[in-house]
Amino acid sequence: MPISTNAFVRSTALMLLIGFLALMAIVGTSIWLVEQNQGWFEQTTQARLARAATVNLRTAMQDAETGQRGFLLTGEDRYLAPYDGNIGRIPEMLDRVDDVLQPYPDSEATVPMIRNAVSAKLAEMQQTIDLYRAGNRDGALALVLSDTGKEAMDQARSYFERIIEDADRLIVEGVENQRGASTALRWVTIIGAFVIFAVVGGSAWTVLIYTRELAAARQEVEAANAGLEERVRERTSDLGRANEEIQRFAYIVTHDLRAPLVNIMGFTSELETSVGTLSSYMAKAPETSDPYFVEAKLAATEDLPEAITFIRAATRKMDGLINAILKISREGRRQLKPEQINLREFIDAAANAVHHQVAETGGAIVADVVVPRLVSDRLSLEQVLGNLLDNAIKYRHPERPIQIAIRAHNSPGNRIDIEVEDNGRGIAATDHERVFELFRRSGVQSQPGEGIGLAHVRTMARSLGGDVTLRSELGVGTTFIISLPRDLRSVPGRQTA
Amino acid sequence: MSNDGKPVTIIMIEDDEGHARLIEKNIRRAGVSNQILPFTNGTDALNFLMGPDGTGENNKGRQLLVLLDLNLPDMTGVDILEKVKGNEHTKRSPVVVLTTTDDQREIQRCYDLGANVYITKPVDYEGFANAIRQLGLFFAVMQVPETE
Repeated sequence: MPISTNAFVRSTALMLLIGFLALMAIVGTSIWLVEQNQGWFEQTTQARLARAATVNLRTAMQDAETGQRGFLLTGEDRYLAPYDGNIGRIPEMLDRVDDVLQPYPDSEATVPMIRNAVSAKLAEMQQTIDLYRAGNRDGALALVLSDTGKEAMDQARSYFERIIEDADRLIVEGVENQRGASTALRWVTIIGAFVIFAVVGGSAWTVLIYTRELAAARQEVEAANAGLEERVRERTSDLGRANEEIQRFAYIVTHDLRAPLVNIMGFTSELETSVGTLSSYMAKAPETSDPYFVEAKLAATEDLPEAITFIRAATRKMDGLINAILKISREGRRQLKPEQINLREFIDAAANAVHHQVAETGGAIVADVVVPRLVSDRLSLEQVLGNLLDNAIKYRHPERPIQIAIRAHNSPGNRIDIEVEDNGRGIAATDHERVFELFRRSGVQSQPGEGIGLAHVRTMARSLGGDVTLRSELGVGTTFIISLPRDLRSVPGRQTA
Repeated sequence: MSNDGKPVTIIMIEDDEGHARLIEKNIRRAGVSNQILPFTNGTDALNFLMGPDGTGENNKGRQLLVLLDLNLPDMTGVDILEKVKGNEHTKRSPVVVLTTTDDQREIQRCYDLGANVYITKPVDYEGFANAIRQLGLFFAVMQVPETE
């Protein structure tokens, strides 16, 4: 199942979000449940304290009562010991009960009532004992029998029991709640753990799948790349071979064409000599009226020399063309020697070579070289630049001094652009490509030339692994841009030794 | 071109008859009047140089100068050069290679094989005629040994 990058990012983000939420839920619930538990625990503790304090008070009261009753029965002080031992602690215990009952709002009403009941009972007990000690045993018994003490005690006891019952209820409730909270905590943790495990597992699985796909895709890309490189290398060497073949073909053709041409020119020359002899003889011959002689004289003195002149002109032209092709094919076959070239000095030297011609018109050459170094074939580059400068001078605008700017700067792909800008007569847009073709020229044919220069420039620029293009506006000027690799040695399929 | 009054024969091996004729004319213009034997293919030329028995003995006592084009229809001039310079009888005969090739390796190879002069035919006719005439002047003063 292919995973797109977007889907992968989305699903991973979603899983991370779910995992984060689950973790937050666990942490939040845990804190809340622990808080709850703490509450329940405190409630239970308070209830226990309340219960213990109440039980203590009740026990003390009962002990005191037991002591009072024993004393009243026997009249002996030793039965009064429980009374004496507890009576002093009771107010303190009462305060303690008051304290521990503080958290319970309904105790506000209960505590004073307990206090009343307890003090009533204490008062009754003290009174009976005092009466008894004073010898009024009957009075004391009568007071007991009046049930005031019993009622107070019963009342107090019922209060105590209610408190104890409440406390027990609270304790049971608290323990129940605590147990519930820990169960809930356990479940939350378990469920959360499951969610996190699921999320982590899901994420890990997604990452694994995605990584595997990425690796596979990368392998494919690498394989394709390797294949592509191999293909490029093959094609490049094919092209190189084809180019070599074309150049060899051009070389052979021009050589073979030249052999008969030498014959034509040679025998034309012989013919010319012969005709020269003939015509001078005919010119000197005495005039006769023989029509054959007149015709022969005309042929020898006019027709033959004229024909020979045309043959000569045609063969000279053909010779020039063949020599041009020969020159270009020879240039293409030349072994390039890559060497380090200091562009600044190189361009200055090229500019100096034509300085005289430029200065004659009142013009100037300005060089702006940003890239100082280049590895290329010096001779070819000299010819390229020299040809372009010669053209700039040759095809200058007749009405203004020559201004030539030579610029060298970096261009993308580890290349260097050398621009030669002139203010010459310019090239019409329709001829921008045509001027680079062999034997083609542009504009007014006011200058001698065979239409070889730019074809030669392009051939050389291409054999240097570069190219030459132009920008031009008719009547304004032309900029030739030579694009070259920074290092000729890095050009694949180049023909160097 | 002479050697004790005995005539030197120029063996011209050139497949282009027009060129052969132009060469002959221009040599003559330089004042060379020796016999010129033209051959248009390598086989005939070798037959003459090495004789029917192929030993080269038939030319014993003659003075030969070979003017050789490298591009021949039936073999390359290099083969002929090799045979002439490898033969006991003809090895001292001067061989002038006159051809269109200006390939440095080819020139070196010809000199290695014992060529005495290598001339590249100029690509234009004026130069061609001029070169042949100068060659003719050179022929006029050079000494040619007898074949043994």
